Amino acid sequence: MSITRRSVLLAVPALAVLRQRAEAAAPVKLGYIEPLTGNSAAAGHAIKQGIDLLVDVINKPYPQLAPLPLAATSGLPRLGGAKIEVIWADNQGSPAVGQSDALRLITQDHVVALLGAYQSNITLTSSAVAERYGIPYLTGESVASNLTERGYKWFFRTTPYAPQFAKLYFDFLANVAKMGKPTSKVAIVHENTDYGTSVAQSITKFATEHGKKIFLTISYNANSTDVSPQVLSLKSAKPDVVIFISYTSDSILYMKTFQTLGYRPPIVIGDDSGFSDPSFVTSVGNLAQGALNRSAYAIGKSGSLSYKMNALYKKKTGRDLDDSVARPMQGFMVMCDAINRAGSTKPEAIRAALAATDMPPSELITAYKGVKFNKEGQNFLAYSMMTELQGKTYVPVWPPKEAIAKLQLPFKG
Amino acid sequence: MKALFPRAGFAAGALLLFAAPFLTANPFYQRVAALTLLAAISASAWNVIGGYAGQVSFGHSVYFGIGAYAALLAYAKLGWPPIAGLPFGIVASFALSIVVGLPSFRLRGHYFSMATIAIAALAGILVTNWDFVGGAIGVMGPARARSFADLLFRSSLPYYAIFLCVLAILLLFTRLLQKSRMGFYLRAIGSDERVAQSLGVPVRRYKLYALLISGAFTSIAGTLYAVMVGFVDPNSGFGILISVNMVVMAALGGAGTLFGPLIGAAILVPLGEATNALWGARGIAYVAYGVIIMLLARFSPGGLAELGRFIVKGWRRRAA
Repeated sequence: MSITRRSVLLAVPALAVLRQRAEAAAPVKLGYIEPLTGNSAAAGHAIKQGIDLLVDVINKPYPQLAPLPLAATSGLPRLGGAKIEVIWADNQGSPAVGQSDALRLITQDHVVALLGAYQSNITLTSSAVAERYGIPYLTGESVASNLTERGYKWFFRTTPYAPQFAKLYFDFLANVAKMGKPTSKVAIVHENTDYGTSVAQSITKFATEHGKKIFLTISYNANSTDVSPQVLSLKSAKPDVVIFISYTSDSILYMKTFQTLGYRPPIVIGDDSGFSDPSFVTSVGNLAQGALNRSAYAIGKSGSLSYKMNALYKKKTGRDLDDSVARPMQGFMVMCDAINRAGSTKPEAIRAALAATDMPPSELITAYKGVKFNKEGQNFLAYSMMTELQGKTYVPVWPPKEAIAKLQLPFKG
Repeated sequence: MKALFPRAGFAAGALLLFAAPFLTANPFYQRVAALTLLAAISASAWNVIGGYAGQVSFGHSVYFGIGAYAALLAYAKLGWPPIAGLPFGIVASFALSIVVGLPSFRLRGHYFSMATIAIAALAGILVTNWDFVGGAIGVMGPARARSFADLLFRSSLPYYAIFLCVLAILLLFTRLLQKSRMGFYLRAIGSDERVAQSLGVPVRRYKLYALLISGAFTSIAGTLYAVMVGFVDPNSGFGILISVNMVVMAALGGAGTLFGPLIGAAILVPLGEATNALWGARGIAYVAYGVIIMLLARFSPGGLAELGRFIVKGWRRRAA
């Protein structure tokens, strides 16, 4: 075809139509800050795989995931089927880099909302940038209590946070006490960086506020290659309950040292993290039978949403979905749902939609009792249950309503 | 011509520094520019002891951390604006220089470097286990500005202006030092400590002076960092990467030259931010860092300054 005046004239409206279509389907860009290099890179990449899966679920029709919002349709229906696009930023484990990431995502990539950032201290610094720019920031993963105590207008958190875990543990222990088992002497064994220290502090604070005393607190270095001194001091103090706040290699080491030193605390609670790591179960699962854990996620019964989501995740990664990935995934769903309800990519509209979120448990991947934010931006229906390692998996054992298996005490090792 | 050239170059450089953030309206580039100056301040501060006096410290993060903690503790404990912690940081850095400098200056070369690494690591462990200063969790700055004095801005330009002032003061100071008797002493110490001593240079005293100046300015950099970022924990205050960055930037630009550290920072900071932005999340920045260090060590151990001198010399020879 030669270029004639007529064809040129025709091309103009044709281009305009094309452009309009393109605009209608302009993707909605979300910024996600994660540790993709550095010490926490493994966790960051696991979360990224989960989120990538959800992006696919939202952008393509997945009718089999029925009650999950946005699954059956492709894209965001109220935005003309616009696709979700996630722009990833690596926080390199540094609070300053996390801040640069937030600024870059907002001003360069023009994301409409931010999520992240795994480490609580990086969530802290990066959300401060979002607050100054008036961009919604949602964390489905960081649990430090101070994040929602800042009076921020643009900050939301879907995950349960540290004081709620403390409450869960003590509620559970009160219940165990009713069964006639002693639970008054609680020992906390925590690794001595940010994570271990802050969770240990929250548990201790909760205990003192409720007139209970922590019997013994042991802090240790997660990189140490020998934990026998810690185990020996537990052995001589004889606590009723030991709560571990540990990373992976150290929690494995504790189970092995229990075995070699012939000591078994009656009740062992692992605070997620190391105890939830798939390599913990594969390497010392047989030495940790009866270890309790907290989890906001359980694979659940065949046919349930959590079960189907696990099947998809397992197909993609070869691993079972666990609490540490399911919580961020839940946060991401809440964000996408809010943008869809807002029917707009304007920050104020998204913020308003987030604040008005009211998601029933049936639409959730996690076991939360729903998603509804209080005025600090904390999801006050966030919730975890107690699980127990029985055989090769953790199964929910408490509260009774969620329980799939019967609680088996004491810790068998 | 020979005298005019550096002056014209200097004027052009200064002009560029003043104008740089206004060349772009992009807030991210402006932040990168501000971060570059901040890195240049700490690298230039390191340069006083590490470059001129040749005492290669790999533990300067200890001063950086002191400054950062001073700022945020002033806020957390006393409710002051973080910047008010600046004098405390400087005083603490002086104290540390005297306590730590006197014994470690007995060591030379690698042994001195190792001692400084140990001191920084020790400081990190100490702070991690000291609950009063926030322990492992760290200290947070004001969540939102209570007044102008909190220096919390949405734009990076005010930070750029502050950092530029501090850097200008530091470089002016270094320039005067360079020309002074002390500057000659330090270079003498840097080239050969024993010879310097035999010529009557009071070696330990002047090394201590250099450490006092260097530590104080590094602590100022730490304070400014804390004011801008609003959070510090043992790793972001005392981590070894902070020290290494100072050394690498100074070495890249040319340790022991006035503008070397600034040039090094102007290359490495944007490079780090750009690689993180462009190829995101693949740690390319560290690879690039490694390659630069290797090339430098092999071809131009004196940094870009040496390379520049070499080129200028060759050009002059050809012109003559």
